[in-house]
Amino acid sequence: MLRAAMAPTGLALQRTRQLATAAVVAGFILAALLLPQFTQRRDVINLFFLMYLYITLAQSWNILAGYGGQINLGHAAFFGIGALTTRTLWTEQDFPFAAALLAGGAASVLFALVVGIPTFRLRGVYFAIGTLAMAEALRLTIANLLPNITSLPGPVIARYDLEPRYYLALALALCTAVTVYLLPRTRLSLGILAVREDEEAAQALGVNPLVHKLIALALSSFFAGLAGGVFAYYHVSYYSSFAFSPNWTFDAVLASFVGGIGTLAGPIVGGSFFILVRERLAVSLVDVHQIIFGVLFIVVVLTLPGGLVEASSRLRSAVRRLLHHALNV
Amino acid sequence: MNLEPVVQNLVFGLFVGGLYGIAAVGLSLVFGVMKVLNVAHGALVMLGGYASFWIFTWYGIDPFAAILITAPLLFLLGFALHVGLFRFVTRLGEEAKIKNSLLISFGLTLVLENLAIKLWTADERAITTGYAGEGVTLAGVIFPYTRMGAFAVAVLAIALLHFFLNRSYAGKAIRATAEDWEAASLMGINVQRTYVVAFAIGTALAGVAGALVGVAYTIAPSIGLAWTLKALVVVVLAGMGSIVGAFGAGILLGEAEALSVYVFGSSYREVVGLVLFLLVLLLRPQGLFGRR
Amino acid sequence: MLKIDDIYVAYDDLQALWGVSLEVEAGEIVVLIGPNGAGKSTLMRAIAGLQPPSRGRILLDGATIHQLPAHSVVERGVVLIPEGRRLFGGMTVLENLQLGAYATKARDVHVETLRRVFEIFPILEERRGQAAGTLSGGQQQMLAIGRALMGLPRLLLLDEPSLGLAPLVVRDIFEVLREINKDGVTLLLAEQNARMALGVAQRAYILEQGRVAGQGTGQEMLQSDHIRRAYLGQLGPIEEAKP
Repeated sequence: MLRAAMAPTGLALQRTRQLATAAVVAGFILAALLLPQFTQRRDVINLFFLMYLYITLAQSWNILAGYGGQINLGHAAFFGIGALTTRTLWTEQDFPFAAALLAGGAASVLFALVVGIPTFRLRGVYFAIGTLAMAEALRLTIANLLPNITSLPGPVIARYDLEPRYYLALALALCTAVTVYLLPRTRLSLGILAVREDEEAAQALGVNPLVHKLIALALSSFFAGLAGGVFAYYHVSYYSSFAFSPNWTFDAVLASFVGGIGTLAGPIVGGSFFILVRERLAVSLVDVHQIIFGVLFIVVVLTLPGGLVEASSRLRSAVRRLLHHALNV
Repeated sequence: MNLEPVVQNLVFGLFVGGLYGIAAVGLSLVFGVMKVLNVAHGALVMLGGYASFWIFTWYGIDPFAAILITAPLLFLLGFALHVGLFRFVTRLGEEAKIKNSLLISFGLTLVLENLAIKLWTADERAITTGYAGEGVTLAGVIFPYTRMGAFAVAVLAIALLHFFLNRSYAGKAIRATAEDWEAASLMGINVQRTYVVAFAIGTALAGVAGALVGVAYTIAPSIGLAWTLKALVVVVLAGMGSIVGAFGAGILLGEAEALSVYVFGSSYREVVGLVLFLLVLLLRPQGLFGRR
Repeated sequence: MLKIDDIYVAYDDLQALWGVSLEVEAGEIVVLIGPNGAGKSTLMRAIAGLQPPSRGRILLDGATIHQLPAHSVVERGVVLIPEGRRLFGGMTVLENLQLGAYATKARDVHVETLRRVFEIFPILEERRGQAAGTLSGGQQQMLAIGRALMGLPRLLLLDEPSLGLAPLVVRDIFEVLREINKDGVTLLLAEQNARMALGVAQRAYILEQGRVAGQGTGQEMLQSDHIRRAYLGQLGPIEEAKP
């Protein structure tokens, strides 16, 4: 029976695999939805909240890097603007939170487009260090203009409940994932991919590179801004410039690369792995997680450009081949 | 009108500019020769600073004199880093090389900074010599010994580099490799060895910069990124690959910052540099002194 | 002296040379002619060590050199003047010449060699402080040859030496090459200017589409109808091209 199961036809095999993947994904989503019902432990819910947040952070960066082909080292600016806008509108201007959150995303997109149009003239490396400089300049300016800690108002703290924040982060991570899933499946995104591969050839085919890059940028900044807004909803008190810290960029870059850049699962795997390692190690060894991830990152860039996702698929096919050999002997 | 504060500012701007210059020259050399963008350069400056600090703390050796120890030490570190890490990037085509070296050195920065935190804590360190805080006063303007010394060493180091690159066979080989590595190999130049040497020299220069930063300012694991950005700003201002021009651009940046402090106040000092950087990137990407 | 034994060379994913074999005896002038893209440059680069062959061997005085890196090939006395000369434009004429003698054996005597190069090319001595990129085409070619001579070559490889030069200048250059050869340097040239090259060479090979399509003495080539039609642009008898 095992023999027969090992040799089904190509198409049937593919469909089985697709169903299996869909089932697994559905299973995970169901488990995620039900998690707060099964545990009251704040630290567990908090852990998963952070995982969803970082998945969104990495996924949003990945849209521009993996699909748009641009290494953006100023991602923290989008996150920070989203956080700042949402926080200000919600806590100081009494906007309903949902409106403040969307405004945060919108503000981020607006900033991205305004800055993106001139910056996109820069090629590869110059774009990377240019965005880094821009984000740092923004952070320093915010630190100067808003040096104080921003705190959630008393009444909000009094009725602070982690559960809605958990579900919000989960919803955002799912939205981002769905968008990334649909990305290669729309005509629009084929254009984005073409631009990434060969800008001149794409142009010759009638694809306007700038438009496609801007769309990738808009999506990237929108989700990063929303992530910032969720952060503003979650974190009780912090220095306003904290949300603009380059660490948000670096964490996104690390998670995306280690997980597998340009893939859907990559940022999910990378982001989860990153948070798990960090929270686990934060207890015993402070900041060692950065060293570990730094080394992993270097290893990935040098030897395994597809990250853990590629590693796992290579592992799976190696195992499959091994089984095949073992059973056919 | 009282000119003293303005002149004082300009004098300080000159001194810090020299420091910016020496911090940038190593980065420019490495990029010019092998088209590797090492954003961990600032972390190497930081390590140079720590080396200088510990040599001073444990053995009481004056940081300026200790440069004779810290520079070779960091030369060896640069050698190890190239052979162990960056060597694998130099085989790639130019675009991939720049991108991958950016990413790898980014990972390296994180590793080095957090190692520094683990080993030496995140506390700020300063090298306080006997003559720290003292200086010469001319016409009401103070010239602190530490900053003057740092400036002098920076000038000396860059002069030595210039001399080496222009008068020695090895230096000319480095310049030739920077211009056209294939043609250089046709001259009998071992390009891989040239890369190692250039990278090691670049790291040694970072070490020198770090020692000077330790004397004139403070050292902490977090200064790595800040100094990388500073070095990048200067390199872009000068034009990528313009090695000695980096010194001039450093002075320019130092003075620009000094003047901006006068106009905008000191809290926007860093922002000015970054904005200048972005403007040059967008409007004159070949830099102020660059050729290409 | 030089023996190329059935080499195959690929560029990225394109096969450029298919089983090329040829020989150069010491003291000879041998010319490679053939159309653009035939693989002449690839062959030169393979000999110089820039493009290792995937199959076959390259032998210098019986010893294999095809696995050596370029800088080691120079140490063995084989110097390539690449297509387009590839001078260090930002460096002075003198510096370019000095760099030509970088290899250890050459460096020991570089002062002496420099004097001889200046004798051959007085214009280079005149302009020795000038940036190489500011020289005229002909002067650049002279500098390229001078730079190569600084390396004390036993075998000098030239890839398209006449490229972009006026006919009179080309004539001068080939005259110099004859002199260098008389001094004992073996020459292997790849040339599109077949007429000029064949007049100077003892033997020639035709390279077409990555394969050796024919060989013979310089005179045989000049008389051959095929050659005249394909590379010299005419039918009927022609006089020897005497540069």
